[in-house]
Amino acid sequence: MKIVIAGAGEVGMYLAKFLSREDQDIMLIDKDSERLSRLDANYNLMTVTGDPTTFEALREASAGSADLFIAVTPYETDNIVACATAKSLGAKTTVARIERYDFMDEKNRPFVNRMGVDRVIYPEYLAASEILRSMDHAWTRSWYELHNGEIILVGVNVSEKAPMCGMSLRDLSSAGHSFHVSAIRRNHETIIPRGNDIIEAGDILYITSTSKGIRHLMEMTGSEETRLRRALIMGGSKIAVRLLNLANGRYRFIVVEPDLRRCEKISMLCPHAEIIQGDARDPELLSEAGITDADVFIALTDSSESNILSCLTAREAGVKKTVAEVENIQFIPQAEGLNIGTIINKKLLASSSIFQLLLDTDHSTSKCLAIADAEVAELEIKDNSKLTRSAVKDLKLPRELTLAAMIRNGKGMLISGTTELIPGDVVLVFCLRGALKKVEKLFN
Amino acid sequence: MRERRIINLPMLMRVSGWLLLMESFFMAFPLLCSIFFHESDIISFALSASITLAAGLMLTYLPRPNNTHLGKRDGFLLTASVWVIFSLFGMLPFLLREHPLTVSNAFFEAMSGFTTTGASTISSAASLTHGMHLWRALMQWLGGMGIILFTVALLPMLNTTGGMQMINAELTGITHDKIRPRVSQTAKSLWGIYILLTVVLLTLLLFAGVNWFDALCHSMGTVSTGGYTTYDSSSSFLTTPFLKIIVTVFMFLGGVNFTLLYRLLTGHLRMVWRNEVLRLYVSIIIAGSALVVASAWFHRRNINMTGTVVDALFQVVSTSSSTGYVLSGERVWGGEVALLMMVMTFFGACAGSTSGGVKLDRLVVLIKHCYYELVRCVHPNNIYPVRLNGRVMPTQQVSKVVVFIFFFIGIIAGGTAVFGIMGVDMGNAFHLALNCMANAGVGNSYAGTPDVVKWFMAFLMLVGRLELFTVLVLFTRTFWHK
Repeated sequence: MKIVIAGAGEVGMYLAKFLSREDQDIMLIDKDSERLSRLDANYNLMTVTGDPTTFEALREASAGSADLFIAVTPYETDNIVACATAKSLGAKTTVARIERYDFMDEKNRPFVNRMGVDRVIYPEYLAASEILRSMDHAWTRSWYELHNGEIILVGVNVSEKAPMCGMSLRDLSSAGHSFHVSAIRRNHETIIPRGNDIIEAGDILYITSTSKGIRHLMEMTGSEETRLRRALIMGGSKIAVRLLNLANGRYRFIVVEPDLRRCEKISMLCPHAEIIQGDARDPELLSEAGITDADVFIALTDSSESNILSCLTAREAGVKKTVAEVENIQFIPQAEGLNIGTIINKKLLASSSIFQLLLDTDHSTSKCLAIADAEVAELEIKDNSKLTRSAVKDLKLPRELTLAAMIRNGKGMLISGTTELIPGDVVLVFCLRGALKKVEKLFN
Repeated sequence: MRERRIINLPMLMRVSGWLLLMESFFMAFPLLCSIFFHESDIISFALSASITLAAGLMLTYLPRPNNTHLGKRDGFLLTASVWVIFSLFGMLPFLLREHPLTVSNAFFEAMSGFTTTGASTISSAASLTHGMHLWRALMQWLGGMGIILFTVALLPMLNTTGGMQMINAELTGITHDKIRPRVSQTAKSLWGIYILLTVVLLTLLLFAGVNWFDALCHSMGTVSTGGYTTYDSSSSFLTTPFLKIIVTVFMFLGGVNFTLLYRLLTGHLRMVWRNEVLRLYVSIIIAGSALVVASAWFHRRNINMTGTVVDALFQVVSTSSSTGYVLSGERVWGGEVALLMMVMTFFGACAGSTSGGVKLDRLVVLIKHCYYELVRCVHPNNIYPVRLNGRVMPTQQVSKVVVFIFFFIGIIAGGTAVFGIMGVDMGNAFHLALNCMANAGVGNSYAGTPDVVKWFMAFLMLVGRLELFTVLVLFTRTFWHK
């Protein structure tokens, strides 16, 4: 598939590198030739120097024959103009990153489409909904619902007091638990576990379950459902505003923002929120704002370091759930290690949402999402697939993948060793990065 | 965290294995040819091909790389070693034939073939069998466009960042323009043009009445700008003016940037016409030929004008593109022509072609850079960006060009000294160093040359073909340390 990416910013570069590894034809356009020359020399993709809003540059990158045109320059208007131009040249699907909710609003959709923008990506919105999801399911680190909630995929942290801590997976499954441990993240490494792997305290487990099994899973991981009420937001950024609007009164928000003007603006946009002017790094101010009563602490300032550190402070003050925005991708593994509940990165969110979109346009690939170093794919079993030959435990599957759950006749169910698969089942597969090709072969 | 070694050795071995499989496949052609002509070389080629095949299979299946990533270091090391390995296996047919060459001679022959230098240790090429001729032609043809480029075009396993690193280490030129998004597509396009050129030349030669075997060998030798011939001297092949003209045209095309030829074929005429380097290449050839004709006229007065112009063009293109075909008349031209030829050998033709030498792209950059440095004395605050084909070159690249030329001259000077120490007289020593570095093997047989000299020549050919850095970087401490 031919993909043209306009703008070699962090999102553009991340996408270009990632997609070129996935064997797509990538063209990358940017004004900065030095930035491009580094990419050009080191990655399997082609670059074009030029302004992506001009016909000249887009023609040179043959955007007209692109299956997917992604505009992720720093400026919203540039992105829209680039998309419009590419569309008029003949690009099949265009995607623009935007900075305002306006373009995303359902009632403005026809107008945006008329301009030649098929899809919009609004990272702040993605971030806000991600935060809200993590607040709604506060005992998990991540929560994905697949197939209208038939299958639920959660990431949880194992504490020492969890009943499952110290058990091997074989014991877990023989005890008849209704969940499937699909991947373990331990010391910066992702493991696809086998029967004799033992769960340790401090692991992050990625567990597949059905909606019925969730309550039971909660007990086994030693977590309890926490009703969250009060949320303290540090930094009145765009994400904060989006979050306040999305939450729709479900939580009580307190926003701490140092800039007076910004405070006034937020109070205008979100009339229900309580707004405090000041620097949230100041402990005195925090206790005055009621940090001890807060259930959630959300750090959304521009500085990743401040966000990480203030989340740690908030934990010490007894806040159960913390969320930090970390825009420096290289800090993320470290921040994960520091036990900050949820980490938000706009670039990664935007990239994964574009990747999802790509999978929707390209039907040959499986639906998939990337968790840590693992990939999770939903694949349909074709006729004559190797997988239908015997029960799962006798299939001699490669080590780097595991079959977690499946959808049969619209119903979600877990896969155990005795399950026999039939053609037409949609299976949720976990595999290590790079093994997806091997997996696809198994299914066809 | 997992520990990562500096060099991914198992993966390197596997890739070398793939490449050897490829080489054994190409050895099958001379084998078929020997069978066809009922020659004594059948066993030698069959043996060589099977040894290469066995080694290839072993290297492909024995190592178990747990990590298929190839980094920058792997790219350099692999590219340099692949050329040596190819020559090591490529010399087998010469060792296993009825009258075997010595190891030094055989390796020299193979390296000279793959690097398209075209120097030979065989005193009478005409006495070689058809199979041997075809193998020599094939070596040049493969080496001309690039062994690795060819492999990347065929093997999907190398359509990755690692494959690209290898191509970057092998392709000539300051920057490597991609013509299509993925490396394998780019490699396929370049090889497509290369094959097209060879086929067209083959057809033209057949049309000119050359027998099919000579036509095949010479078309491969010409387009790759290698210069091996099936006769004792290339002049015995180039009997008619028509032959000289077609060979001249294709030597010229072999010296043009293949990316440009691709653009030409895809209809981007303006881009080709506007290319400064191509313009310089054409003007050098015209000016050079004019000088040669003038010199001939000056020395002899009564000359056949048309014949001399054709001969002059032929000689100038042959030298400039580093092909190394010679006409018997060369000696008649004066000493100034020899000097001109030396300068032209040094600079070569366009980057990204099959020719050798410093490449005209670098000459353009160097001249501009020198000029701007002069002008800057008058206007110290002015900014004078060096432009190549309208694009401003980053200072780093300009400095790399200057460093490249410095190294090139330095190695020629050093090489001359080394040859001198080995007992070659000074004039010849300089010639050897220059011609090996520029992959332009003009002239006679090197059968009588001492073995040390031949090994050193082979080394210089490799350094010149891979444009210095790929080989030289292996001799730095930094390369081997974290």
